[in-house]
Amino acid sequence: MIGLWDTTGNEVVKALAAERRSAGGVASGLALTLVAVVEEKHVREAEAAATIAASAHPCRLLIVVRSDLDGRSRLDAEIVVGGRLGPAEAVVMRMYGRLALHAESVVMPLLAPDVPVVTWWHSEPPDVIANDFLGVVADRRITDCKLSPDPVGALKQRANDYAPGDTDLTWTRITLWRTLVAGAFDTTEERVTGATIVAPMTDPTAALMKGWLQSRLGIEPVWEHTDRSPRMHSVELKCANGDCVRVTRDEGTALFSRTGQEDRYMPLPKRAVGDELAEELRRLDADQIYSEALGAMAGIAHLDQRPPMRVHVWKDPALAARAGEAAGAFAGPGGSAA
Amino acid sequence: MGNPLRTAQDRRLPRIPEPCALVIFGVTGDLSRKKLIPAVYDLANRGLLPPGFVVLGFARRDWGDGDFESLAYEAAKKGARTPWREDVWQRLASQFQFVPGSFDDDAAFDHLASTLDDLRERNGIAGNAAFYFSIPPAAFPLVLNQLNRTGMADNAKSGGWRRVVVEKPFGNDLQTAMALNQLVDEVFTPQDVFRIDHYLGKETVQNILALRFANNLFEPVWNSKYVDSVQITMAEDVGIGTRAAFYDASGAARDVLQNHLLQLLALVGMEEPTSFDPNEVRAEKLKVLKAISIPKDIAEGSVRGQYLPGWVAGERAVGYLEEKNIPADSTTETYVAVRLGIQNRRWAEVPFFVRVGKRMPRRVTEIAILFKKAPHLPFNPADIEMLGNNQLVIRVQPDEGVVLKFGSKVPGTTMEVRDIAMDFQYGEAFTESSPEAYERLVLDVLVGDRTLFPDAAEVEQSWRVIDPLEAAWAGTKPEPYRSGEWGPRASDEMLAREGRAWRRA
Repeated sequence: MIGLWDTTGNEVVKALAAERRSAGGVASGLALTLVAVVEEKHVREAEAAATIAASAHPCRLLIVVRSDLDGRSRLDAEIVVGGRLGPAEAVVMRMYGRLALHAESVVMPLLAPDVPVVTWWHSEPPDVIANDFLGVVADRRITDCKLSPDPVGALKQRANDYAPGDTDLTWTRITLWRTLVAGAFDTTEERVTGATIVAPMTDPTAALMKGWLQSRLGIEPVWEHTDRSPRMHSVELKCANGDCVRVTRDEGTALFSRTGQEDRYMPLPKRAVGDELAEELRRLDADQIYSEALGAMAGIAHLDQRPPMRVHVWKDPALAARAGEAAGAFAGPGGSAA
Repeated sequence: MGNPLRTAQDRRLPRIPEPCALVIFGVTGDLSRKKLIPAVYDLANRGLLPPGFVVLGFARRDWGDGDFESLAYEAAKKGARTPWREDVWQRLASQFQFVPGSFDDDAAFDHLASTLDDLRERNGIAGNAAFYFSIPPAAFPLVLNQLNRTGMADNAKSGGWRRVVVEKPFGNDLQTAMALNQLVDEVFTPQDVFRIDHYLGKETVQNILALRFANNLFEPVWNSKYVDSVQITMAEDVGIGTRAAFYDASGAARDVLQNHLLQLLALVGMEEPTSFDPNEVRAEKLKVLKAISIPKDIAEGSVRGQYLPGWVAGERAVGYLEEKNIPADSTTETYVAVRLGIQNRRWAEVPFFVRVGKRMPRRVTEIAILFKKAPHLPFNPADIEMLGNNQLVIRVQPDEGVVLKFGSKVPGTTMEVRDIAMDFQYGEAFTESSPEAYERLVLDVLVGDRTLFPDAAEVEQSWRVIDPLEAAWAGTKPEPYRSGEWGPRASDEMLAREGRAWRRA
């Protein structure tokens, strides 16, 4: 491990090369570069998640923490190869002041040559990804609307701002639900005529579930709002012949009921963010099913026909901040990096 | 019309079998406890089993339901690769049923049949069931006849699919293999028979196909113009363990050469299949197996060995003849090396050296492609003394990965060239989440994907390679080698005679 304080991008590149050399026998297979954009208060969480994901996908991990945009420009970095961040080679960078707005100048030379770049925001997703160069340079972009104060609104904004290659972890969180629901129709030819989703009004996963069913089945699912459960509670599908399939969440399990059959319990665990991230990294091409579900949810057609490449649009958040909004969270110079 | 919620583009949704039952014969046995039950738990934990999935355990002993449950619990907890979750196990265990009985007990099989019929409605399994034969081959005919008598093996009668899974050994020679295949195919339909060669469930073995057919870099040199020879090694550091009776009757060639190693050879040597349809892949593998040639003079082109006492990995090891339940005059081999060829245009004149052994210095399975030396070397001969053959090594286990060995200049003021290895490791670190071979194969059986299962023709063809070797070896004594050595000296001499040497695996 090398810690560098008040350093430069060039020093970081050199230190990474040196650390790789001295670690010896480093995994030479590198499938991708993962750029994690994190707020200071979420750094530990993001590190833990990235470590899990990196153990499934050999990658170079670049964690970018931007804070204190008004202060002096400064870069602190920590380089870890095959250490506490799992088998990956990792660089944790803390950027302050104006430098934080030009994070790409430090990140670009650190991207592994000619392998895909995935950018993951473990923070409130940017309104417009084109404003963040770290999103523009990426082949795949992963956001997490759950971290937004208005998750469903944030998800709609993801649809407005969508480009092929975007996904949101909200989508990943319903893979197990979708597996259960889809599995129910492997053995029947019955047409689905209606669906009911019971979930709190603010649950983005329910919004996507609704969009998915809508886009796949051509029906208009009903979203029944509830306060009983903090997350999606149940999904029920009615068939043309009157049969009914219902999946209800109960802690870490799902109750699977179907007309004419005994109720079954199936595992429906809450996965760690790291496992969700690992699922995302498994595919680096655009997820068409997601774009259809997202489009159906937001009422925007043909999302998948948008150009996959974004063009960087410069926007200075410092101007907006000075205009009266709250300034970026202050964080001390990462004392734990020692 | 198919399921509207599934499309080929939605690759997040895993393949999940239709509701079905898994019937395990010999459920209290070693294989079942070490591999099968943990694999079933892992599948359940990953959410890959359908609702209504049932396990029916059939075994001879007089177990109470509780005894069986605690046995299964111990087995699953010990062998599971995914994190242990009590609630998942509880739900799975509630769908475990034990059917006691011996294989000649008609009443027990009638009971099994009626249990399956009950489950059809109650669990919605629609008559789908897979029968897993985790039993000695001698018991196969008995069980098959029982399944036949009760009509349990009949797809039409049961209203769903009925599949059977058999483990190696697939017979003891061509004749017994054919008899066995005939028997199984008669009771079940041939496409419902799944023969497990667990090597084919390994990620790296499947990766051989990706390496060869997804890349443009390797295929052009994958032939006799560029390849000097191929070495396939499967070394184990352990002895025969508790399998004395079985092992002494079969030996290394029948135990692993016939199945695992010839399958590896087929994957390395086969032509490109027209698609990854199971039938197409099997057709290409079968063509290679048919083209295998054995040495003209078997005594010259093969070596058998038997381990003597010695030291392996810092521990004293007894010799084969001192192992428990092995006759003191046994001539069974624990090591075999043989020079095979493939009679087709691609591989003409390229020797395939295949070796397997027990009590070797370490456990390793690998396939090494040794390339010919460059046709002209514009270097001073002294500078390239350390330059060997270029090699591409596919490491199957442990440390799954690929190594490319090539010459490179030694840093310094002189032009000196030596071999270096470029090592790609899947490494333990990166395959944590990849499923264990049995998990993958059990799932494939339940889904009905036959790609990774050798068919009857392949098994029979493999015996056609082994039988003449066994015939020539009859009455000869294996060469002794010390435990902890890379096999008998005769094996090194066999390669040295043609100016080659074994790669130290």
